[in-house]
Amino acid sequence: MSTAETMSTPLAQTPLPDMPVPEGPYIALENLRKAYRIGGQTIPIFSGLDLAIPRGDFVAIMGPSGSGKSTLLNMLAGIDRADGGTLRIGNSRLDQMGEGARAAWRAHHMGIVFQFYNLLPMLTAAENVELPLLLKPLSARERRARVAKVLDLVGLAGREKQRPGLMSGGQQQRVGIARAIVSDPDLLLCDEPTGDLDRASADAVLDMLRFLNTEMKKTIVMVTHDPQAALQARRTLHLDKGQFLEETRAAG
Amino acid sequence: MTLFDLARRNAWRKPLRTVLLIVCVAVAFLIHGLTASFLAGSQGASAASEDILGVMSAGGRGQSLPMAARARLAVDPDIAAIAPLVRLRGFVGTEKNVVAVSAVDPALMMAVNGKSLGLTPALVAAMGTARDTLLVGRALADAQGFVVGQSVTVSAFAMARQDGSRDWRFTIAGIFEGENASTDTYFSIARLDYVDAARAKGRDTVDAFVVRPKAGADAARLAARIDQQFQNSASPTRTQSEKQFLEAFLRQYADVGLIVNLVVGAAFVTLMLIVVNTMVFAVRERRFEIGVLKTLGFSQKAILALILAETLFVLSLGGGAGLVLAKLLTILAGPELGLVMTPLIVLRALGLIVVLGFLTGALPAFNALKTPIVSAFRTR
Repeated sequence: MSTAETMSTPLAQTPLPDMPVPEGPYIALENLRKAYRIGGQTIPIFSGLDLAIPRGDFVAIMGPSGSGKSTLLNMLAGIDRADGGTLRIGNSRLDQMGEGARAAWRAHHMGIVFQFYNLLPMLTAAENVELPLLLKPLSARERRARVAKVLDLVGLAGREKQRPGLMSGGQQQRVGIARAIVSDPDLLLCDEPTGDLDRASADAVLDMLRFLNTEMKKTIVMVTHDPQAALQARRTLHLDKGQFLEETRAAG
Repeated sequence: MTLFDLARRNAWRKPLRTVLLIVCVAVAFLIHGLTASFLAGSQGASAASEDILGVMSAGGRGQSLPMAARARLAVDPDIAAIAPLVRLRGFVGTEKNVVAVSAVDPALMMAVNGKSLGLTPALVAAMGTARDTLLVGRALADAQGFVVGQSVTVSAFAMARQDGSRDWRFTIAGIFEGENASTDTYFSIARLDYVDAARAKGRDTVDAFVVRPKAGADAARLAARIDQQFQNSASPTRTQSEKQFLEAFLRQYADVGLIVNLVVGAAFVTLMLIVVNTMVFAVRERRFEIGVLKTLGFSQKAILALILAETLFVLSLGGGAGLVLAKLLTILAGPELGLVMTPLIVLRALGLIVVLGFLTGALPAFNALKTPIVSAFRTR
């Protein structure tokens, strides 16, 4: 299936193909603990959370506000630290890494898609996508080639020079996705990727995430409030008060 | 795009603020460039020779030395030439219009310091045409509008003539140009035999002997040897290089270097406060975006480089503009102001730009680095 086709077809309703699950989970959380201290008060978020996500999975995490979804995503991204327990992604123990090592790990293994895109307004679409590549030992020509390739992949070829302020929300989110995948990470974390989009744009973004999961074998963890979005994942985990309550698997 | 491009784009996000910052830096470096050029020029002493020595009385500037001391000096094997010198300070017209006259033997002065002063055989010959001839330095001639052939009356502050008058009449025989723009030419040269014969007191004494050491001789050692030679005589000496003498002379009125350094220092402290303050605000406004960059994998070092590059960019633009303006002004001002912008001044200023760039970027960079990503995201 070509990129253009993927982008233009309506939201796929067919079940995702079965994926061989490798030995041992790709993401493993064991007895993860996290609490926030606010004004002398300790507010527990996780008191021993366990989670296993195999490589190539597409997991949606749903739950009410304050359930710990964003905190979990932050810890998976290595931008927040657990108070205890273990957090392993691939062969890396994030819970044991320092700030610098976690930054390097993010640059090599993880891409992130934000709800509000978080593009730098003074940079063009191509320059925003190029940002993660500045950390890699690539020539300017190699960087340009990669940027052009991923912008084509997300259906934004020809809009390289456009600034985010002149783009629609859907287009900005596609730039955000291009930025997340340009360094070819194994893991894609999505924080409410459709939360700021109309239905059509949201469906196009979800199509793209499915494509990245099925065709490019990216492991995706998506936090969402949108049941329609969650339906596109292989499974949905429901989080409440710091605990996974149930798991829903995609039909098929 | 490079990290520097990113820093540059960040700097121009608020163009008015950046332009004002650049103007502020430019003004500071303009002041720095001009004051440093002033010190390096003829108004300062840095262009003066360290080799030409002045032998004066150890008793101070008011005391004289006997002319006979010249013979004792002349036996030193390291001395190439000696020119006795009598100073005549006075004014032309009004008292504020001060003019300095150095009475010397023109031929001896040419042998001692002729190249630096720009004395030529023609000028020395012109001095020989009459006893009251005067050679005027270019800076003095331009400032006073003196021309060759003009008669000038210098009313001396102290030195009286035998008839009781303090008015010394001279006829301008020529103008000496100085070797380059940094040579002090704001004085005139008269004939020592004329002044010495006509003055009421102090005949056969001099204010100083100007000494040129032989090539290869150690000037500092020679100075020490001369002073040792006269140490127990009736006229003990104090021998200094021209540079030391000028520096001491300028310090009589004020420590120009200290004043200049204080002015420039105050300008730079103010500049630093403005730039640091502005940069702290600029970086604080972008805390969220810095959080995004950190999430994309930008290391502490990369963020630090980004912020330092931004301050360096602003300071380089402003500092460069200030230095170019200072250079243009030194050229436009002409030699009479004695502003000389040497390559060393430019190099020092460039060093200062780099140091200030790091210093002013340090605080905002530190703030950006210590802010956790999660806290940065809350600032949206």
